[in-house]
Amino acid sequence: MADILAMRAARRDGAFGAPETGSGSDTRSATAIGSSITIRDVVKTYGGFAAADHISLDIEPGEFITLLGPSGSGKTTLLNLVAGFQKLDGGEILVDDKPVHNVPPHRRGFGMVFQSYALFPNMTVTQNVAFPLRMAGADRETTERRVAETLDIMRLSEHAAKLPSQMSGGQQQRVAIARAIVRRPKVVLMDEPLSALDRRLRESIQIEIRDLHQRLGSTILFVTHDQGEALTMSDRIAVLDAGKIVQVATPVEIYRHPSTKFVASFVGESNLIDAEIVQKRGTTMTLKNPEGYVFSAESRSSLDVGRATVLVRPERISISSTPNASALPVTVRSAIFLGEILRIEAETASGERLLIRCTDSADRALPAPGDTLYASWRAEDCWVLP
Amino acid sequence: MSTIAIHMAGPTTSLSERLKDPAWLLLPAAAFLAFIYLLPLFDLFRISMSGSSWSVHFERVFAVSLYWDSLVRTMEISFTVALLCLFFGYPTALLIHKTSGWRQAIIATAVVLPYFIAILIRTYSWMVLLGKNGPINKLAVSLGIFDQPAQLLFNRGSVLLGMTAVLLPLMVLSIYSSIARQDPSLVRAGQASGAGPLAVFWRVLLPLTLPGMGAGFLLVFVTALGFFITPTLLGGPGDQMFAMHITQQADFATSEGFLQALAVVLLVITLVVVAIAGRFLGFEFIWGGNKLSDSTKPSKQRHPGRWTGGAFSAKIADGIGWPLMRLLSRMPLSTGTWTVRMLGGFVLMVLTVPIVVVMILSFSKASFLTFPPPGFSLRWYEKFFSDTEWMTAFTNSLVIAAMSAVFAVTLGGMAALGIVRSSIKGKSAIMLLLVSPVIVPPVVLGLSLYSLFLRTDLAGTMGGLAAAHAIGGLPLVVVIMAASLQGVDRRLEQAAAVHGASPLTVFRTVTLPAIAPGMAAAAFFAFLHSFDELVLSLFLSSAQLRTLPLRLWADVNYQLNPVLAVVSTLEVLLVVGGIALARPVLAGRSKALA
Repeated sequence: MADILAMRAARRDGAFGAPETGSGSDTRSATAIGSSITIRDVVKTYGGFAAADHISLDIEPGEFITLLGPSGSGKTTLLNLVAGFQKLDGGEILVDDKPVHNVPPHRRGFGMVFQSYALFPNMTVTQNVAFPLRMAGADRETTERRVAETLDIMRLSEHAAKLPSQMSGGQQQRVAIARAIVRRPKVVLMDEPLSALDRRLRESIQIEIRDLHQRLGSTILFVTHDQGEALTMSDRIAVLDAGKIVQVATPVEIYRHPSTKFVASFVGESNLIDAEIVQKRGTTMTLKNPEGYVFSAESRSSLDVGRATVLVRPERISISSTPNASALPVTVRSAIFLGEILRIEAETASGERLLIRCTDSADRALPAPGDTLYASWRAEDCWVLP
Repeated sequence: MSTIAIHMAGPTTSLSERLKDPAWLLLPAAAFLAFIYLLPLFDLFRISMSGSSWSVHFERVFAVSLYWDSLVRTMEISFTVALLCLFFGYPTALLIHKTSGWRQAIIATAVVLPYFIAILIRTYSWMVLLGKNGPINKLAVSLGIFDQPAQLLFNRGSVLLGMTAVLLPLMVLSIYSSIARQDPSLVRAGQASGAGPLAVFWRVLLPLTLPGMGAGFLLVFVTALGFFITPTLLGGPGDQMFAMHITQQADFATSEGFLQALAVVLLVITLVVVAIAGRFLGFEFIWGGNKLSDSTKPSKQRHPGRWTGGAFSAKIADGIGWPLMRLLSRMPLSTGTWTVRMLGGFVLMVLTVPIVVVMILSFSKASFLTFPPPGFSLRWYEKFFSDTEWMTAFTNSLVIAAMSAVFAVTLGGMAALGIVRSSIKGKSAIMLLLVSPVIVPPVVLGLSLYSLFLRTDLAGTMGGLAAAHAIGGLPLVVVIMAASLQGVDRRLEQAAAVHGASPLTVFRTVTLPAIAPGMAAAAFFAFLHSFDELVLSLFLSSAQLRTLPLRLWADVNYQLNPVLAVVSTLEVLLVVGGIALARPVLAGRSKALA
């Protein structure tokens, strides 16, 4: 423990620009420690439009944090501000408790992966990966060793002499990742690195990045608009909307207990049911939907009277074809067979849409449009939005 | 029922068949160029070898020190001009790239606008600026740098300055298109990898834009080789360039054969340079690197790997390169920005100030050229519009330019359609032929056409002159319209066809509206090309048929009066108006390129 702390202190002293390359210590075996990043009240406007509207976020050392949001939500702006490509209009960004607004991007010592790969087309794979080391002043021997190691980690050794134009998209992106991590940076920024790849490749590189993160220990700031990607990879997710952070939490928390309607509908599929609060006892609430269907739900909401929005995930709804007093009768509008799962769109008597996902089983016939089903859910399966 | 179906299908398929491969549209342009361009050049070669032995005239060219020295001097001047253009052009291109919004629009316009103003007029504006009564002398005297106005004109320096200023836009545009094509995140990737702005420039941007720099350098070099107007007006006796000898010899009928040999030497040198350049850069550099998709041949993947050095260069890189690069990264961020701003700003001044000075002088009250003008009046405009000689020349030029534009757009438009839409083999070679008039020195072209025009009684006719001008207008039209055609979404045409439009209806309702702006721009540039053309006209017109540039040329050589400033101002207004009209088209084009 003392060892780690000493190392951390040493790293802090040499912060920004001079990653210890020739120090002799093999940084690969000793897991590198990422930097903490503190984003405090950050503002960035483009001619009246606030791309970042008073954003604050604390990122722990070594954390894998994802900025998730639709396009135009400000996630890339925030990443560019951390990278130093854009100037802050307000607030501050601290890396390891030191403000960085006067440090130009090339002296922040971060690694970065771009959506378009941004590999230097005039350099081979080796030269691309060696570039950050040469800029940092590593000698030829160290450079060669570290490049070889990194190419080995990324399983690129056989492509070392190729030019980017001779490689596939997935290989190019792995080279881009190799270039970003070759200095063992304490912070790696990733700007939608997988969005240009097809789905299968994307999933395999997701796992690769995840493993890499555990191996290197760097802090990773990852930007994506793909909620599935965010859920799979992150320690924590920060959901952005219109230049503001709406919720910061672990993937499980974000999925199960979203803080707003926006988060609920942006992450995963959801049913948002309007209901009236009948009674509140502890963390359990009794609610009534417009048709008079009464159900209970878990809640951390401070509301105790009036209307509320309840989230029920489609896969938490159980259906039955036999009437049941504690179930909500719904009419099937469409049923789609997706393989292991059935996706049913149904409607309540008052015309509210209800999406249901259930596993396929041999003893159940596929519901047909017009059929009546009885839907029910448990109290712990729904969530009253605060 | 079935017979009807067959009847209906019959003509439809044959028409669509024809439209599917409209290679025949290339024929008119090919015939035109064969008759008025290739045949005369072929004749030029023939006559140059018509002496007692084929080489007798060439031996004389290389034996007489007058010509040999001039050839060496021409190479020297062209090379220096190309280097100067490169040195000043790159920061200017970077400046355009780094600015945005209205600033970028202004800077880009300041570079592009002079490009379309006649070389004669731009050279004249330098004569005014550097003249004894010009603003530079006045300023230097008032600041006490000179005791009395100095002779700044008619020396090597003024030739280099004038030619560099005239050719700079060519270089800037060539480099800019190369920079704009790069992925902007490459620079950020460089920075994120620890490279400062200068290191990113040196290791990433410069290597990637090397082809654009090469293209610009060679275009400037080749164009400078055949330069005639600027060195004649700005140079002294010691600055004779090769093209000037050709026009001087053309006045003596006795030099038949030798004259053609001079032209052939100039042409061959030009072609050799272009051939070598084309070998390395691809011949696309001539028309701005706008590659045509050749259906028969997959486009070459160029490997920039040739810049990666061997072991020796690795040592140099280790010992000097990388440490220097890291040192440069320590420099404040603003160093590079300021260098670019200062050099780029200087270039913008060099390009615009002479023209602005001339425009101000056109309103002068004085009876001779002096700056600042003692007062303002419209007397020189009155003189221009009331002088029948000027007005005749002006009308002649308008009529000839309009005719020439019609020729060029008709032939070039068909050829562009033929080359883009057909599946003909060797598109690159055909494109090269269509665009090649751009690289042939105008003096050589003029001389070669001279004998053809005498033989066919075309000399001194408006139609003849318009056709000659169309040789140079054709490449402009082909390049602009081919780009415009490539921008048309083929799926729109397919959509129209699927929904029942016949091929001709598809062309009329979908294709034509889409390329109409490109066609208008092409027509304007073809018109402008003819309106500004001087060198061919010098060879081909008669005393009865004077064009505006010819009239200007006569006056520039004998008396620098303010009427010339009036003509220059009108030309600037014409170009500004034309560009303003063509701007949406050009903007669309550059967007499509980026």
